[in-house]
Amino acid sequence: MLLPKFEYFEPTTLEEALRLLSELGGNARVLAGGTDLLVRMKLKVERPSQLISLRKVPGLSAIIPRDNHGVTIGPAATAADLSKNELICDRFTPIALAAGRLGAPVIRNRATIGGNLVNARPAADLPPACMVLDATLKLKSTHGEREIPVGEFFRGPGETVIEPNELLVSLFVETPAPWSGGAYIKLGARKTLEISMVNVAVLLTLQEPQGLIVDAKIALGAVAPTPVRAFAAEEFLIGRQPSEKVFAEAGAIGVGLCQPITDHRGTMEYRCLMIETLTSRALKQAHERALGWKP
Amino acid sequence: MKKIIQLTINGGPVEAAVSPNQTLVQFLRDDLGLTGTKHGCGLGDCGACTVILDGKAVNSCLVLAVQANGSDVLTIEGLAENGNLHPLQQAFVNKGAIQCGFCTPGMILSAKALLDEKPNPTEPEIRTAISGNLCRCTGYQKIVEAIGEAANVIRGREEL
Amino acid sequence: MGDYKVINTGAPRIDALSKATGQAKYADDFKMPGMLYAAILQSPLAHARISHIDTSKAKKLPGVKAVVTAKEAGLIKYGVSPARYDETLFAYEKVRYVGDEIAAVAASDLATAHEALSLIKVDYEELPAVFDMFDAMKDGAPQLHDEFPGNLNAEVHQEFGDTEAALESCDLVVNHTFLNKRQDAAFIEPHSCLAVYDTSGQLTLYTSTQVPHYVMRTVAMTLQIPVGNVRVVKPYVGGGFGPKCEATPLEMSCGLLSKITGKPVKMTYSREQVFLHSRARHQFYAEMSLGVMKDGTMVAVKNKAVLDGGAYTSFGIATVYYSGSLIGGPYKLKAMKYDGYRAYTNKPACGAQRGHGGVAHRACFEQLIDMTAEKIGMDPVDMRLKNIMTAGDITVNELDMSSLGMKECIETIRNGSDWNNKKGKLPKGKGIGMACGFFVSGAGYPIYRSDTYHSTVVIKLSEDGGVANVFTGSAEIGQGSDTAMAMIAAETLGITLEQVRVYSGDTDYSVDLGAYSSRQTLMTGHATKEAAEEIKSRIAGFLAEELGIPASSITFGDGIVKFDGAPGNFEKIRSGYIKEHRGWTDPPSGEYLTFREAARMAFLKAGTIVGTGKYKPHRLGGSYKGAAVGTSPAYGCSAQIVEVSVDLETGEITVDNMTDAHDCGLAINKMSVEGQMQGSLSMGLGECLFEEVKFDSRGRILNPSLGEYKIPTALDMPNVRSIIVESNEPNGPYGAKEVGEGAIMPTIPAILNAIYDATGVRINELPVTSERLFMALKKKAEGV
Ligand SMILES: Cc1cc2nc3c(=O)[nH]c(=O)nc-3n(C[C@H](O)[C@H](O)[C@H](O)COP(=O)(O)OP(=O)(O)OC[C@H]3O[C@@H](n4cnc5c(N)ncnc54)[C@H](O)[C@@H]3O)c2cc1C
Ligand code: FES
Ligand code: FES
Repeated sequence: MLLPKFEYFEPTTLEEALRLLSELGGNARVLAGGTDLLVRMKLKVERPSQLISLRKVPGLSAIIPRDNHGVTIGPAATAADLSKNELICDRFTPIALAAGRLGAPVIRNRATIGGNLVNARPAADLPPACMVLDATLKLKSTHGEREIPVGEFFRGPGETVIEPNELLVSLFVETPAPWSGGAYIKLGARKTLEISMVNVAVLLTLQEPQGLIVDAKIALGAVAPTPVRAFAAEEFLIGRQPSEKVFAEAGAIGVGLCQPITDHRGTMEYRCLMIETLTSRALKQAHERALGWKP
Repeated sequence: MKKIIQLTINGGPVEAAVSPNQTLVQFLRDDLGLTGTKHGCGLGDCGACTVILDGKAVNSCLVLAVQANGSDVLTIEGLAENGNLHPLQQAFVNKGAIQCGFCTPGMILSAKALLDEKPNPTEPEIRTAISGNLCRCTGYQKIVEAIGEAANVIRGREEL
Repeated sequence: MGDYKVINTGAPRIDALSKATGQAKYADDFKMPGMLYAAILQSPLAHARISHIDTSKAKKLPGVKAVVTAKEAGLIKYGVSPARYDETLFAYEKVRYVGDEIAAVAASDLATAHEALSLIKVDYEELPAVFDMFDAMKDGAPQLHDEFPGNLNAEVHQEFGDTEAALESCDLVVNHTFLNKRQDAAFIEPHSCLAVYDTSGQLTLYTSTQVPHYVMRTVAMTLQIPVGNVRVVKPYVGGGFGPKCEATPLEMSCGLLSKITGKPVKMTYSREQVFLHSRARHQFYAEMSLGVMKDGTMVAVKNKAVLDGGAYTSFGIATVYYSGSLIGGPYKLKAMKYDGYRAYTNKPACGAQRGHGGVAHRACFEQLIDMTAEKIGMDPVDMRLKNIMTAGDITVNELDMSSLGMKECIETIRNGSDWNNKKGKLPKGKGIGMACGFFVSGAGYPIYRSDTYHSTVVIKLSEDGGVANVFTGSAEIGQGSDTAMAMIAAETLGITLEQVRVYSGDTDYSVDLGAYSSRQTLMTGHATKEAAEEIKSRIAGFLAEELGIPASSITFGDGIVKFDGAPGNFEKIRSGYIKEHRGWTDPPSGEYLTFREAARMAFLKAGTIVGTGKYKPHRLGGSYKGAAVGTSPAYGCSAQIVEVSVDLETGEITVDNMTDAHDCGLAINKMSVEGQMQGSLSMGLGECLFEEVKFDSRGRILNPSLGEYKIPTALDMPNVRSIIVESNEPNGPYGAKEVGEGAIMPTIPAILNAIYDATGVRINELPVTSERLFMALKKKAEGV
């Protein structure tokens, strides 16, 4: 499979990357891991005239703990890095789990979180995980920078608020409160190398061990044009004593928010039913992890 | 416009002019004649093109040759040392892990990346490590056994 | 069983080393000076009249060396079976599926070839198309081929005994229907070919095929080159499984373009083109009734098949026969009726794939047996054992089970899987299921009507006597046939495996019909054995004459020669050898005469020592119409038990473990036999749970990639307890017969029966996705 022709740039500083991005105009694309972009180019769905590689821009793949209050993740951090990083596994579990389910190891070694977010596929693994953790995305251009909550980032399949001259330069995620636990479940046909039919990320925070739910975040993928938060279900959960029944009810509420499609991977009906089941299952898993929270 | 790249392939320095739209697998196969790296889909789906790039197993059909500039690439041709098969190669031969052989180079390299990181992998870890490498012939069982055996051999050697 | 030195072991494959090091060359690895790159233009429409093709712009593109269409290629019809030659290399007048070939281009590089394709202008008048096999056979459906009204490509009606009467007499008749989906073989190596037409008018193709012989014939015919001037060389092949069993437009285009340009021409299909070329497993609809007596005795089967053939015949006629004939065993029946129909549709043509024609109907039948067993309150294993055939039995449709370890297979897996403690006793969501199957060990007749030998083999000793070179046209495609032939040659000659080299897959070496219908171990094996025996007897004859002893006192083994089982007095030969090799560094020593010395001295006397072998089956089968399909000199058989876990809340299925027993006669190479068993089960698991080539409403494949067409990964496939059950097949070399295809037969129904055991739901449509199972569970719970 041949790639169409393009010009290749390898900036060595962030400034240079931003400058190229603004100078080259709308037909240039940022190249991170290439697991999405190069595929789309081979399939002739995309035909950029220039590629700007991030590989020589320093610092973009770093995962940096911010004291105790959060973590900054570089956009070029790979799914493999994220799935194996101790801090991410420990405190930002949904991201680690979702990263560990993306593609297969050979893909995870290249695929970046930035690429996964900007790519904005409704079924992508990392967006729901970032959403339950309320990640903030920093977008930068030669004109300045802005911060966007991940929940406001996606606009439709393949569409985000990012401007052609902007680069996603980092994600910041605040450390969840004590007694929080996360989960991520992906439903596909095979056990790996799968694009989700439905996926669910959850973060649950308890008041204290065995206590009430003080915070709940649920995000669903592949159920609407963009990943969505199940706010009503979250509200329902807050203040309640965790139980299987409560989780099941929350799952049922979650379904109400979704408008899944029927495609060759699955029907709308089945997807809806699975949202319900998997949401309650993810809540249960998150709850168990919350109970095992350690300072 | 071609770009000059300099990289290490199988331990030796290589300098070449490549087009930006040339993938690493094309560069290896077409320009360098390293046809041990296979091409089964070009889309990252099959893993036949797996090479080790700076210590990590990657699909060389989704890496541009220019992106490998300055990198260290290991292909199946570089695995045997001084004419001695790598323990993974030997185990694949001994255990019947090879049928048509088209997935084999990629499988072996994914396995090598695993053993470099985890010398004593469990069976699920082995299966996960090769889960991006499709094999239509073997049902994977003998491949998994071979990787387990190679791990034992390598550990045994290091203990000596 | 005999006391063998080479065969019946698990020796590593002779090609493993070159494959493990990346040295093994596959078609796409070849490159030649001046080589051109070719590409094919394929139809974007499923059914259309071609009103005009304009190639002028493409021809003018710098770097383009040739552009060919039906005008240049001619309109010679070809196909697999001469009875249904319904294809031409390039479409003329009309295209019949998305992917139908229209033109080909050769250029100095691939990008130019692709650009040239985009410059070819084809004017189409779109025609109504039909994609469903049932719709295709209805009145008023769009017609694909004028010669086949009603889109009826083939129809088969066979009856053995009086089926209706037999069913009447039964205590119970159970019915079942089954629908599988179009599969793709999904070998990892896409088709690739390098064609070289030289100045002497000889065309050589280096191509990824299972059947060099048939490719040679078809290419010679379509390109009108004398067949003796076409040579087909098969390098290593990255899997075939059936779809590489016929000449492809890729091979013919490369040949034609090379002939026109006088340059080597190479082309490799993209993964999408592999899907478009297809020729893989059909979609089958099966409708079956099984009649039994209260005690579980099977009496009669009524079987109907409808096959979605796609736009051309390919192997389809054989396929539609197989769906009937392969139900004849391995259970005793008094009567059997079969009606089969194959419809043309505007989709890529289907052909042969592992377990040709038998897999879907076997799945239906083995489910039916379980359903029946349940109704009469019998254990499914017992029910099968009660009806099982044994060696020497002949099926109602006259297939001769000359050896059949079916009973042993069933008993072995029953014990090996702890069936008695598990069946009906597992917790909800867990299930166990079993099934059986059998398959041919080589088709009884060639694809074209002929008295040809199916295999010939030439073995030539090296002049130093140390190496036996085996020349065969047979096709090593990953299954291990080169190794099997090397082992048979070594065993027969009494030398070590290291002393044998195999040169295979070249039509110049010998005649061999190739790697299909699980034929090579038996057929090429016979020819190899015969060739080796000739050499052995020539050397023994030479020694007998030189030493003045009876030839019958001489035996060969492990590379040494014994006389009456002892070292004997061979001084004359050894001193002759040493004299001959004065100054040489490896004088023979040791208490026994070596094969090498004997062979060298025989060479000095007689010249190059050559042995030839040949094989064709004896006349097989009945005399009814279609009796040839399903005949074989031998049948392999197997039984499997599968355990599954079902997530009742999502419908997700995990196959936890599989136990497989296969009777392959004598296992020439045990490791290869296990490999074939495990690979077959993996393909069966994929077909059962994931695989389906899907189309949109305009006949375009929705999932032409290995990402969206899902074959099992290492995480989906469990370990298989592979148990080799050996029988002694009288018609096989050293008692050997097939394993490559038969092993897939029980897999799907065993999984389906296990799913039923786990859930109480019978699934009769593949693939059993989590959605399909979940919805069925839901329906059951709602009592619908
Ligand atoms: C075989 C295979 C399996 C896959 N499986 C999965 C899966 O299971 N789940 C899943 O979610 N995805 C999957 N993917 C898709 C893909 O791997 C992921 O989306 C991946 O995270 C993309 O990251 P990348 O670095 O490769 O992106 P690239 O391909 O490099 O880029 C993707 C897009 O993001 C833009 N971009 C990248 N970084 C930035 C940045 N910092 N700022 C602005 N724009 C940027 C690019 O311009 C491009 O438009 C799979 C892909 C393949 C080939
Ligand atoms: S060729 Fe690269 S993954 Fe298939
Ligand atoms: S050995 Fe053939 S694909 Fe793995």
